[in-house]
Amino acid sequence: MTEAVGGVVAIGWPQLALASAFIIVTGGITLLLHLGVAKDLAIATLRTYVQLLALGFVLRWVFRSDAPLVVLAILGVMLVAATRIILKRSPDAPPGLFGSTLLSMAIVGITITFAVTGLVVGVDPWWRAQYVIPIGGMVIGNSMSGIALALERVFADLDARSGEILALTALGATPWEAAHPSVRTALRTGLIPGINTLAAVGIVFIPGMMAGQVLAGVDPLVAAPYQIVVMMMVATADVLGSTGAVLLSYRRRFTPDGIFLEKGHRG
Amino acid sequence: MSWEMSLLLRARGLTATRPSDAASAAVFADLDLDVAAGTLTDVSGPSGSGKTTLLLALARLLPDVTGELYLDDVIAAEVDPRMWRSRVAYLPQRALLAPGTVHSNLVQPWTLRIRSGVTPPSEGELRAALDGVGLDGIGLDRAAARLSVGQAARVALLRVVLTAPACVLLDEPDASLDDESAKQVASMTARFVGSGGAVVRVRHARVDANADRRMRLADGRLTEVTGRD
Repeated sequence: MTEAVGGVVAIGWPQLALASAFIIVTGGITLLLHLGVAKDLAIATLRTYVQLLALGFVLRWVFRSDAPLVVLAILGVMLVAATRIILKRSPDAPPGLFGSTLLSMAIVGITITFAVTGLVVGVDPWWRAQYVIPIGGMVIGNSMSGIALALERVFADLDARSGEILALTALGATPWEAAHPSVRTALRTGLIPGINTLAAVGIVFIPGMMAGQVLAGVDPLVAAPYQIVVMMMVATADVLGSTGAVLLSYRRRFTPDGIFLEKGHRG
Repeated sequence: MSWEMSLLLRARGLTATRPSDAASAAVFADLDLDVAAGTLTDVSGPSGSGKTTLLLALARLLPDVTGELYLDDVIAAEVDPRMWRSRVAYLPQRALLAPGTVHSNLVQPWTLRIRSGVTPPSEGELRAALDGVGLDGIGLDRAAARLSVGQAARVALLRVVLTAPACVLLDEPDASLDDESAKQVASMTARFVGSGGAVVRVRHARVDANADRRMRLADGRLTEVTGRD
């Protein structure tokens, strides 16, 4: 069943079974060492199979249907799922952030995705699923991590500075004047992983997309500019998405009168 | 009616509820308080009786307070909360200075929009003000984090007084201060009152003979203390 398809060596069931044998050996080792993770490993392996094969079927169907509404609907599902993950990762955030987080993710994610596919890559037609969905996934997934980190950070820092915030508010400060050091801290924290990735890429690791293209037989010098474009866009999505999400949400920690809500006062 | 005109700050029917058990427990209910310009009012009472809550409510720094507040006979609803707080200035019990120098902390109020267009005190004025409260050994470029508790308390009070509010609300200003700092804080307070300012001061300890009025907050009620306790 092994055959070359467009420069790619396709993997068949026997190869999958061989790869699974490695996981079974790994599971055996964890059992010998009583690590207590064998069941989790088995379930996770099964999920990898099911989820990725399902993704393959879905993407194949989407690529064939090639309808703009389907592409947009898939981006919408990604955005909603990412927003839910962000809010789950920010337990200290005030309630009611779904709308503002989804909005900043959507504006940034959709703008940047189509900027890359339309202006940089020049996809024709503009909604071509083969380009829009993988690039959209990378943009949304990366800004999701940045936004989650920044949101978690801003509310933790506001709580840590609650005494200073009270003193500032008592001097007549607006919520922005009292909160902006925390907003800066949060955005810096949210951006550091992205900057580190930009600095380390190509030396410490080969990014997933470029690795995939090279494995698929693409000339590395064709793959590299692609990856550069994606890195730039992902970093931009990261910065703009977390800035938007934090700016739209920090005010919820204050009453309309500008009073910072201490822990006991949050309904 | 004429005597009421001289009242700077009035509270009528002030009610604050404890946030954690919102259903029933009021910290205090239906409380009235009159504060005249140029007076020092001491409020004492047991721990947890709501003295800090009262000051926060007067400064409009507490959510879910009901009742009426007037500043110079203008009802609170007609005064922007930030303008109110710049005139009725609450000083937290623990002097919390921002990261930075003594100078950056002292001029911080003038970095806020509420005082845009107002000239901050000059370095000379700040130097003189520090000297006046026994901080002549402290340079303006000293890191705020390197001040002792007593020094930080004086800088924080000085910062509030320099903004020239109409009323200062002091939350246990001399708790945990050394004798020298406590003495300086007391004389800063007296000078502010002498210049026509009003002070409401919360004290856990025994009320002070310098106060013009002595009140006691206990079991949710505020009562005038007559004679010595």
